[in-house]
Amino acid sequence: MTVLEELRQSIEAGHPKETEKLVSVALEQQVDSMRIVEEAMMSAMRTMGERYKEQEADIPSILAAARCVRSGFTLIEKNDASFEEQNIGTVIVGTVEGDLHDIGKNLVALMFRSAGFKVIDLGVDISEKQFLKAVRENPDVQIVCISSLLSTSLPEMEQVIKVLRRNDPEKKYKIMVGGGAVTKQLAEDMGADAYTENCVEAAEVAKTFIV
Amino acid sequence: MCKVAFIREGTIVSVPEGMTVLEAEIRAGLKPDAPCGGTGKCGKCLVRIADMVSHGDTTLPCEDIDTTKSAHKNKVLPYEIRDSEKTIAAEAYGNSVRACQTKVTADIYVDTLSSLTKEYAILTEGYLRPVTYHPGLSVHKIQLEKPETGDKRSDWYRMTEQLTQDEPFEQIYPDPALASSLYDRRAESAEWYAIHTDGRVLDLRREPGRICFAAFDIGTTTVAGYLLDAKDGRTLAVESRLNPQVQYGADVIMRANYALEHGTEILSMCIREAVNEMLQILAKKASVCTEDIFQVSVVGNTCMHHLFLGISPASLVHAPYTPAINARLTLCAADYGLCVHSNAQLLMLPVIAGYVGADTCACLMATRPDQEDNITLLLDIGTNGEMVLGNRKRLVACSTAAGPAFEGAKITCGMRGVAGAVDHVFYEKGNWRYTTIGDEPAVGLCGSGLIDLVACLLRAGLIDENGRLESGQADSHTFVLVPPEDSGNGQGVYLTRKDVGEVQLAKAAIAAGIQLLMEELQITEDDITEVRVAGAFGNYMNPASVGEIGMFPHSLAGRVRSIGNAAGEGAKLALLSLEELKMSETLARSTDFIELAALPEFQDCFVEQLGFEEAL
Repeated sequence: MTVLEELRQSIEAGHPKETEKLVSVALEQQVDSMRIVEEAMMSAMRTMGERYKEQEADIPSILAAARCVRSGFTLIEKNDASFEEQNIGTVIVGTVEGDLHDIGKNLVALMFRSAGFKVIDLGVDISEKQFLKAVRENPDVQIVCISSLLSTSLPEMEQVIKVLRRNDPEKKYKIMVGGGAVTKQLAEDMGADAYTENCVEAAEVAKTFIV
Repeated sequence: MCKVAFIREGTIVSVPEGMTVLEAEIRAGLKPDAPCGGTGKCGKCLVRIADMVSHGDTTLPCEDIDTTKSAHKNKVLPYEIRDSEKTIAAEAYGNSVRACQTKVTADIYVDTLSSLTKEYAILTEGYLRPVTYHPGLSVHKIQLEKPETGDKRSDWYRMTEQLTQDEPFEQIYPDPALASSLYDRRAESAEWYAIHTDGRVLDLRREPGRICFAAFDIGTTTVAGYLLDAKDGRTLAVESRLNPQVQYGADVIMRANYALEHGTEILSMCIREAVNEMLQILAKKASVCTEDIFQVSVVGNTCMHHLFLGISPASLVHAPYTPAINARLTLCAADYGLCVHSNAQLLMLPVIAGYVGADTCACLMATRPDQEDNITLLLDIGTNGEMVLGNRKRLVACSTAAGPAFEGAKITCGMRGVAGAVDHVFYEKGNWRYTTIGDEPAVGLCGSGLIDLVACLLRAGLIDENGRLESGQADSHTFVLVPPEDSGNGQGVYLTRKDVGEVQLAKAAIAAGIQLLMEELQITEDDITEVRVAGAFGNYMNPASVGEIGMFPHSLAGRVRSIGNAAGEGAKLALLSLEELKMSETLARSTDFIELAALPEFQDCFVEQLGFEEAL
């Protein structure tokens, strides 16, 4: 078994220590950073996503796998300074104003990073003004992702979409929404470009936007 | 308009076409159980429906109608089922449909499938810390005498002077209505009994008569009420029921959402009505009159507290989740629609933080960890899980959204602690055993049974450290504890992989909360001398199982004590001791609060706690 295969398995099993060790080994063996991400980390998360769809994996195991990927990323970035500059597009993510919950949003951010995007994570409790500011400061942004766990924050989400749309008549960027409070129907009603039920699908849909 | 006849309840309502069956149930006052707030996700609001036309009869009662037969093959039924992606197909339920997803389009009969005699195992007993009986309310014999010529003091002043003789009351609030009655009362008799608190005269009586207090613990799911004798503080009667607000959603977020969309009023009325009904029953049980109740204390989590008072929960559900009001309140019970003495007081204990409410404050009052050198952990696992760690030096609280899994929501065979719920599971040498509440045939799993089952499956090696269930049964993703033929509902009691995942999420949230509280106080689990578990769950759970699934550190399992409905006891203490009541404010303000969602370490800690320790 190659080190990348081993790495993939340790991520799927959710063992962070093992993952860190294997990433270090791969880096020592001069395996290209992009290959580690693509062939082990991203591939493991894709498998987890498929298992989730087949009800073979649940949220706890996805979170465990995600934690492994994140510690793997930290190691790679420390080792390879040029790594962050290689990206296929820029995404802004944030949890909407009124909501402090970020586990789902962090998962999405991680999936985007694994998929090769540059991710600007605004954090939680982000107002429409902060979203707007971020979009203006990053004119190359292609996708804005808004998350909300609490259903009580849906009106704020709708407001963010409205404001972003008003400021982007040419539709330069796409708006994606997600989180426990959102459904496909609600996303359509609010005028979002896309909604996905889980983080793996989010990254896949996002890729179709940048071709 | 369509007629909807509920055959079990014998009621009939007219509703506009297109209204859901769930809404019709609410309109008929049936208080249906809708843990997911009618979003079609939980599948717990099942009903059976039959077309009235085929029976040609709209009169009630309709015991002769066998709805299972009437909903027979290929017949077009007068209702439609909404499409929803996230939910299970309606066919899965056989003839039963989800009331929240089914629209009324013609006159129908509805069988709510609920047994009217269901007894809920709501915990009303608690551990009461001994306090000196010194209530805020007292009765004084007073004389109403004709003033001497030249005495410029008013009737009111002369009366209140007699009350302030032995108690250093700074000021008694002048009550014009009572003052106005003094002249006539004096003509009637010179001797009167004043029923008063520090600051208010509530009533004047010829005879002291019966005087009572009522205490309520309003939980998200259940409400417990107590009637106390003001003479000695004895509990005269106890009453409990489900919080009727469950028809608007199982958790506080759904309730708040409903309040924000439809107004706080509906939810306030709903709970006040329930409290009034309970007051009537309590009074009847104790053979007293509701007019004899002079003080009512109410505790509840911050959302229940706000909704009871008619305060919008808007600030509570928007970051940073602050309460609209947190102070201890003394209000007029009549202003909040309570049918007690017209001058009765409503005492609301203080709220600690947005998600650490007056119920937690009441638990602290019942246990007073602030007076101890030993470090204790207070855990109140209800629909939300609140915890307080510390001793006299410092108390720190936090809250996690952990509960619904342990109260039946989100678990396939989950249910509340009612007759027929599996409450304990045993696994020894390859043999499975279980017990149910009321020794009835098993129909589902309540919180304690759920945790036992997961612990036993871990011990049996059927769940691995990542929570993967391999039951070795026909469907390896499901473990059947009770086969359909042995169960009380013909469907059996089982646990799925997804259920195990829900348990992991819930227990990890609590475990992470405990972990971060320990870090905040810079202590380890060895420093905790006692874990006090409040609430029904604490009473019925097996501490060893809770330790085994890792809800709290395994080593603490031997130091667990169940303290029953401590919140209810705290609510009682507020009435029994003025000193304790006043202390509650200090206690609430001096307890620090950690917002877990704002802690960067929370996520890692949470994920770390998701797995299971390997079986010992």
